[in-house]
Amino acid sequence: MLDIKAIRADFPILDRVLPNGKNLVYFDNAATSQKPQCVIDAMSNFYENYNSNAHRSNHTLADEASSALENARNQISNFFGAKPENMIYTSGATEAINLVSYGWAKNNLDNGDVIVITEMEHHADIVPWQELSKEKGVEVRYVPINNETFMLDMEAFEIALDGAALVCVTHTSNVLGIRNPIEEIIKMSKGKNCKVLIDCAQGAPHEKINFETLGADFLAISAHKMAGPTGIGCLLTSNERIQEMGPFMTGGSMIKKVTTDGSTFKDGHEMFETGTPRIAEAIGWGAAVGWLEQFNMVDIHNHVHEIAAYAGKEMIKIPGIKIFGDPSNEDSSGAVSFLHETIQSQDLALLLDQGGYAVRTGHHCAQPLMDALGVPSTNRASFWIYNTQEEVEGFITHLKYICERFA
Amino acid sequence: MSSHWPEHLDGIIEEFKDCFDSMERYELLFDYAKNNPNPLPTEEWTEENQILGCQSRAHVICSLDEGGLFLLKAGADAQIVQGLMSITAIAVNGLEPIEVSKLTPAYIEEMGLKAALSPNRANGFLNMFNRVIKEAKILSET
Repeated sequence: MLDIKAIRADFPILDRVLPNGKNLVYFDNAATSQKPQCVIDAMSNFYENYNSNAHRSNHTLADEASSALENARNQISNFFGAKPENMIYTSGATEAINLVSYGWAKNNLDNGDVIVITEMEHHADIVPWQELSKEKGVEVRYVPINNETFMLDMEAFEIALDGAALVCVTHTSNVLGIRNPIEEIIKMSKGKNCKVLIDCAQGAPHEKINFETLGADFLAISAHKMAGPTGIGCLLTSNERIQEMGPFMTGGSMIKKVTTDGSTFKDGHEMFETGTPRIAEAIGWGAAVGWLEQFNMVDIHNHVHEIAAYAGKEMIKIPGIKIFGDPSNEDSSGAVSFLHETIQSQDLALLLDQGGYAVRTGHHCAQPLMDALGVPSTNRASFWIYNTQEEVEGFITHLKYICERFA
Repeated sequence: MSSHWPEHLDGIIEEFKDCFDSMERYELLFDYAKNNPNPLPTEEWTEENQILGCQSRAHVICSLDEGGLFLLKAGADAQIVQGLMSITAIAVNGLEPIEVSKLTPAYIEEMGLKAALSPNRANGFLNMFNRVIKEAKILSET
């Protein structure tokens, strides 16, 4: 059982009063979560006390910075059930997916090979494959969603796997909050000898992701949706796959030797981490993981699910509101996408903001999914560990008021 | 034109200032959206007059009327953007293009609608306003 009051006390921003005097109610967690004080402190402490570049100089601060960077790697990879040597720091899930595209697929796939993705993907898991298709002639197949349930069409998925080399699928939809049957997808894909990439940007804040247990080839993760800072994430991979990868970006730190005749590269994750690392961000992410480890992720999921299901149940009672997806679904990640039949989505978001309610509006970087839903955009309320039923009750009241006054 | 906005906007600004709260201001803005003096009907929305980068659909045509004075016609699917453009049309239509090119969106802030001026890339109104100023400058040089 979570002590939500104590949890909220860890997040100073939740006491924020907006310029119009309204208290902030933050329902934009699928875009980015808020950060607990321990994450803010860990990053400040680095800059205040041991800021230095990592893996370069031989002095006390440099040693402390290098140790902190690698300790964070150990802590984060352990949290995700992966080996630290197979964890590559990236700027986030987007860069992690691009790293698979440019670092692995470009070297291992060729003209005529098939990559299977879905209509539900974030643009980060669509555009890199379209670009690879242009460059290498690989075929990109899209698995559709069922127009009634909004779930992936698993029969179509199985058909799409025929002759495929790589499957890239989101763990959880950033728009619909639907948690895909990842285990089944990985099993089906492995049965057809496909490599599998799972975009865990939305899944990681809501359940304990375990690389070894899942058995995928690549997991892409962002820190900032799970209490960590922006600007950092990672690609988790296996011993086999990392050896098949080539460098995506080149420069300092990733080389064994550089001469005027050419360069040789380091092995493992070091080959992919060129330039000055995101040291403060890695330390902050480590602190976020440490903070999350005090909870059972199942409790977080249950809390968020309860709030989202309640929100969905009450929102649907408001005349004119339509919800996409099913927030009452047990696996829902707590994202509730909705529209009003006459109040335009941008207008609705601005009017909600007048009450202090922060929601996301737009195509959510998922335009193929918007096309499948037949809408250009949605409003999205997304909940996390610190949100409360009282906040949702206030939101419902304000939403009703808007609909009555502006429809 | 005053140093900040055309004087004939003063009455509208006062109307917004008299609103009890922001929700009342937005309700008033919705009324202006419905009563746009120079609307751009949806059948005239084209790729050429679309404002790119907005998350809502927004279209603008700037031209000169028979007397050589500025004429703004605007349309948007978001009522808040449409309302702001209606007021902007009231502000600029009938002015010399050179006067329009010097306009700033200060009147929006004065009306208590500062949120509409956020530099957010998806902000419909600011993108439209900047397009109007750019086209006014071009028209003033022709």
